[in-house]
Amino acid sequence: MSVLDTTDALDVAGYAAAVRRSLADLGPEQVEDLSDDLEADLAEALDDERHVAHGRGLLEQFGPPEDYAAELRAAAGLAPATAHARRGQLLSDPVDDTRRFGRWALRRLRALAWWPPVEAFLIALRPVWWLLRGWVVYQLVAILAGASGWLPRNLAAFLVLVGAVILSVQYGRGAWFQQRRLAWLPVTANVVAVVAVLPLLAGAHDRLVASESVYADYTAGRLGGGGTQTIIQDKAVDGVVVDGVQVSNLFVYDADGSPLTDVQVYDDRGRPVRTTFDDGLGQYWFPEATEPWSFVSRVDSDGRARWNVYPLQGAPASEFTYDDDGLQVLPAESSATTPPWPFAKAPALDDAPEAAVGAEGAPSSSPTSTP
Amino acid sequence: MDTTQLLKGVLDLAVLAVVSDEDGYGYDVVRRLRAAGIEEVGDASVYGTLRRLYSSGALTSYVVPSDEGPHRKYYGINAQGRAMLEAQRKDWQEFAGTMGRLLKTEVVR
Repeated sequence: MSVLDTTDALDVAGYAAAVRRSLADLGPEQVEDLSDDLEADLAEALDDERHVAHGRGLLEQFGPPEDYAAELRAAAGLAPATAHARRGQLLSDPVDDTRRFGRWALRRLRALAWWPPVEAFLIALRPVWWLLRGWVVYQLVAILAGASGWLPRNLAAFLVLVGAVILSVQYGRGAWFQQRRLAWLPVTANVVAVVAVLPLLAGAHDRLVASESVYADYTAGRLGGGGTQTIIQDKAVDGVVVDGVQVSNLFVYDADGSPLTDVQVYDDRGRPVRTTFDDGLGQYWFPEATEPWSFVSRVDSDGRARWNVYPLQGAPASEFTYDDDGLQVLPAESSATTPPWPFAKAPALDDAPEAAVGAEGAPSSSPTSTP
Repeated sequence: MDTTQLLKGVLDLAVLAVVSDEDGYGYDVVRRLRAAGIEEVGDASVYGTLRRLYSSGALTSYVVPSDEGPHRKYYGINAQGRAMLEAQRKDWQEFAGTMGRLLKTEVVR
């Protein structure tokens, strides 16, 4: 026989289910005995009809399923269906009900103009589902066995995955598990796979992200304990960077190496050079400090806050309080001070001859006072 | 004349004869009956007959895996089936002879 297309396969399944419903009063064993090859026989008959006869559908070829069932049981020497049987049908098989609903929905959809191309597309995707279904079964087995990961990491797990995929694809192709008494197996597997596929994909994705972050940690040397983490930023960092690290404060010394305070720093275009951008909210540690500091701004003659006046002054964070607007402010009784200088005096500059030349264009010493 | 009515009485015999030729599964038996000229036979009647002959012990049954399709249940004849076939064949031939003579006389007369 040749492989039927999906429509026919559904027709066959639907017809066979209807026949079985008409036989339901005989009990499951008798029904199975009478109809275990029914799908295969119907499919083959349909196939023959298609190729050598008139291409009639199952209904035209065999008449109503109830008649088919009646003929089957009569030929088998069994009593015709009783009224009792029809009552039994009310308590129908949920699998059959689902199939019936599926067929009904499909019929409605096929009446819509846009559906056939969509259906053809979905049919083309079926092998993807077969693979995915095999993978889901593998994942469930792996979880039960305590393993995890997208893909197997050892031979046994690999064999389970291959086996699950083969079973799934063979069932998908209609090659295996076609017997009526095995029908529960693929139906159960399908239901489980449909229910489990999204949680499993989400879980696997989470694990992948987690393992990628572990890998990132590893390459950054955090797991080894020794390395320095390198942060690569696409955007330029605003502020002042020394040796790859942003600095929070600048200390300025004059030509003699004496510390200067209240030095305004601008770049070549007159933009203020700032080290902090948190407007006083941030806290910074100094070497050998016992608690972090926060900085305060200076105010220029126009009343604007200036953050490019170095060294930035501030106070230990615990001295700050919060005003009504939730802003961090220094209370009146404390005053901002200059944080500890790195050293009291820097090396003095050599009195190079060009210093005199330079002095014409720029003031060589600061206009500000010493601390 | 409605041959389906005639067929009902001899379907067992026809099915036994086909299966005694060579083992076959349900639709295969239908196909061979049709090829032999029994066109009107209903598929379901053949399947039902096969089941009945099997449960009465005249046929054996076994499942054959298939490369391209589902597994199929094959039926083969056994000693009891052969005995049944022989007895029915004799009955049929006697009956057919009788009918033949009867009809011949009628035609000739």
